[in-house]
Amino acid sequence: MTPAPSGFDELIHPSTRLSLVSTLAAADWAEFGFLREALGLSDSALSKQLATLEEAGYVATERRLEGRRHKVRARLTPVGREAFNGHVAALQAIVAAAVATES
Amino acid sequence: MNQSISHDDAAAALASVARARQDVAQEVGLPTWYWWSMAAWWVGISALNELEIRWLTIAVTVVLGAVHASLAGRLLSGRRRTSDLQVSGDVVGRRTTAAMFALLIVLVAVTVGVGFALNADGMEHPALGAGVFVGTIVALGGPTLLRAARKVFGA
Repeated sequence: MTPAPSGFDELIHPSTRLSLVSTLAAADWAEFGFLREALGLSDSALSKQLATLEEAGYVATERRLEGRRHKVRARLTPVGREAFNGHVAALQAIVAAAVATES
Repeated sequence: MNQSISHDDAAAALASVARARQDVAQEVGLPTWYWWSMAAWWVGISALNELEIRWLTIAVTVVLGAVHASLAGRLLSGRRRTSDLQVSGDVVGRRTTAAMFALLIVLVAVTVGVGFALNADGMEHPALGAGVFVGTIVALGGPTLLRAARKVFGA
């Protein structure tokens, strides 16, 4: 076990949230339905994850009226993107340190 | 941060990040209507060519080329295949646009080649035959062709 380096983000790290943030990081925005299918989550589970990330300022959601249906669109905020990049860099540092120790 | 994390956990997390990015990259492409309209243009221009009214063929080709070019900026990046998400420019990269243009050039070359082959075979309307042949490929296999082209271009 290695102490988590700076940039490691405990809020992002849990697997479901990491997949959600990674998906949003690869997109400008994504519809709620797409995220639900991509991550295999229920509506309520996804709403909960989005709410947690939104509270932290990492995600912004927008409710839009399309035809007669309301659609929710989510995107990473600049703060969220920075936190995600920092988290990935921290993970890479851990892996690199382990490889350096082994060789 | 007080949390400790193992090398294996970190590696697994990075793999999950890469998987999510790959899943989003799978969404790169063009809407279905785009492929069908392109197929229709292909057949239409080939049919016009059979009429041997050169000015009309050239005029229609120029107009459709202009329409295509105006769509290019919005669609050819492949970021808007669906209305479910918009893939980030960073994930799509410029190579997708290059792959799309290369695909168009290959399709034109195939149309000309098939046209000559059908003509040599004595077909009555070789240009139309070639247009229908390539148009069918575009309508039914456009997304697959683009995927293949992206692979060739490493996009």
